[in-house]
Amino acid sequence: MRTFITFVTLLLKTWFRSKTSLFFGLALPITLLLVFGTIFGGPSPPSYSLYVRNLDLDGSGGPAPLSKAFIDALNSSVFEVKLLPPDAPPQQSTGFTAVRILTIPQGFTGSLLNASIRTRIDITADTILRFVEMAGENISSEVRANISRGIEGMEDFKQSLVVGNTTLILEGSPDDRILQAIEGILNVIASKFELGLLNASAVLQVKTQFHQIRQLRAVDYYMPGYIAAFIMTNGLLGVSQQFSEYRRRGVIKLLASTPVSKSFWIASIVAVQTIASLVLTSVMILAGWLVFRIAVYPDVFSLAVILLGTLAFTGFGVLIGGVLKEAEAVAALGNTLSFPMMFLSGAFWPLELMPGYLQAAARYMPLYYFHVALRETLVSGSPATAIIPALVVAITAVVATISAVAATKWKDF
Amino acid sequence: MRSEAIIVSDLVKKYGELTAVDHISFNVFEGDVFSLLGPNGAGKTTTVEILECLRTPTSGDAWIKGLSVRDPKDVRKIKKIIGVLPQEFYAVDNLTVLENVVLAAAAKNSDNVRGVLERLGLWEFRGRRFSTLSGGLKRRVGLAMALVGEPEIVFLDEPTTGLDPEARRETWHLIRELRRSGVTVVLTTHYMEEAERLSDHVAIIVNGRIAAEGEVKNLISRYGGRTTLVFDDIDEEARQHLVDRGFNVEALSGGRSVVRVEGEHEVFEVISYLRSLGYEGYPLIRRGGLEDVFLSVIGSKLSEGGDLI
Repeated sequence: MRTFITFVTLLLKTWFRSKTSLFFGLALPITLLLVFGTIFGGPSPPSYSLYVRNLDLDGSGGPAPLSKAFIDALNSSVFEVKLLPPDAPPQQSTGFTAVRILTIPQGFTGSLLNASIRTRIDITADTILRFVEMAGENISSEVRANISRGIEGMEDFKQSLVVGNTTLILEGSPDDRILQAIEGILNVIASKFELGLLNASAVLQVKTQFHQIRQLRAVDYYMPGYIAAFIMTNGLLGVSQQFSEYRRRGVIKLLASTPVSKSFWIASIVAVQTIASLVLTSVMILAGWLVFRIAVYPDVFSLAVILLGTLAFTGFGVLIGGVLKEAEAVAALGNTLSFPMMFLSGAFWPLELMPGYLQAAARYMPLYYFHVALRETLVSGSPATAIIPALVVAITAVVATISAVAATKWKDF
Repeated sequence: MRSEAIIVSDLVKKYGELTAVDHISFNVFEGDVFSLLGPNGAGKTTTVEILECLRTPTSGDAWIKGLSVRDPKDVRKIKKIIGVLPQEFYAVDNLTVLENVVLAAAAKNSDNVRGVLERLGLWEFRGRRFSTLSGGLKRRVGLAMALVGEPEIVFLDEPTTGLDPEARRETWHLIRELRRSGVTVVLTTHYMEEAERLSDHVAIIVNGRIAAEGEVKNLISRYGGRTTLVFDDIDEEARQHLVDRGFNVEALSGGRSVVRVEGEHEVFEVISYLRSLGYEGYPLIRRGGLEDVFLSVIGSKLSEGGDLI
């Protein structure tokens, strides 16, 4: 036991003194969490940018009253309105923010006022007719005739009101996935604006109630993904290269010439990697909580998943470092395995964003099951849904560890 | 009578078609420094790695203090009594001198770290990272890692390769100290001078076979040939006089002449004879050594890099 503790202590020292280990094991994952969390997953609501080109101008060139009121209504909604001069050229997309332009037609104010008065006339006439019908025989035929003439007069006045173009044009790219949602939001704002002109209010309403099911934010998704991905790189790249380096320097030969067994040596490496993984997880949780208020559930289940993932990827690292003789080949294979997994397993972004064939490919990667199991336990607090991915990680860990012990040469190098 | 620390019997190691060690047998006595001398690729490292239980022999056997390297039960016992400095060994860069030796001590379940560091003059450097040490100190750390645990037999595989002359002499001093303390040392080297200065016994190994083996002085007297006297200033006439008296004389370029004699008495005979002829100069005297043994047995010399030339 004393030997084991000494080995683990010394190997931990080498880990914490290695700039590469500290960079890949702590600095890079925290940086990625802070950067991508801030860009894509911060606590503020998403903003919808919308350019508005107002062609409805008064005699002095300023916005006519109703178009101005409509723009104010847009501004007080989810939209981040940017006004475009009537003759401004089309805006270019930066590739990250979609360009959407809403054009308010010329004569919008007059047409909308006339249309609103026409609607009021229709409602008034319809209301009077309903009262007359309800009154039935209680209204004399003479009064009925007067009412009928009055309604005809209102109808004549209505016909005299000219309604021009009231259609708002929304321009956007077919690649803009939320353009339809934006059209829907604009329709709701326009309807409320019309009701406001009629001095009416909507009867049908939607009220938001927050339920107890936790909705993950992007940053909640990133954190367990980064933890899993960097536990993987620590194993596949860090351990394999350390093992290869120790062999090249003769350290493995020196140890193999002592009574220490290879299983003992591998167990020491696994213990060190486990401690490094727990340090990484703790620091990520702390950074996530401090900056993004990510609430996680570090419990025995998430701890078990971390241990299994560490065991699996440390096993693969020892296997690579133990089997391949050339340091360059070790680095090449480690990179070849870890980088595609990092980017294609869904650790960094949801699988749903990727094409179907890549989603299918991800399910053959151990890292996929590791980050899913970790997310379910650590962030969602749902160990039941983590059972199957955790089982896959456990099987991988057993296979990797057995292969590592079997393939590591402690003799006949 | 001294007993054998190591007995090697008809050892063979093959890698596919290549025979790296070809029916080698030798004994190493307790307290001796035994050198395996040979060019690169001769099979020296393979041989000692079999003795270190790091390689499995294809056939034959070796016994370390009576324990067989082929018997798994014995191997664990062997590993407790040996110390190994592998070829081109470099300890862990980002551990200190002390931590590296503690690593080796932990592997051997030993705690005489301070004693070893003091013995090798490393105690004052104990807090320095391995990566910051000079080449000589680095090799000393390797020796300390091999010596921690107080091994009875130490295997040093090319311990001075790549070191500057001063660091090499330091290492030689440490090996002599080891010998004085009664530790059996098995050394592999391609440096003639190293083998000659440090060893009690030498085995010259070429192409996996032992070409010559024995005590250094016996090997030199048997194969080392004659003492050579190199003169800068004797002329053709003097050379002829020496030839007439039965000496082996050879003219070299640049006017130099070499006279090969059998022993010390002939050295004086040659010099006094030349004095009688009026030649006053003193020759450069070179006694026969392992280099001559090597040349005599193998027919080639060894370069500084360890290749046959």
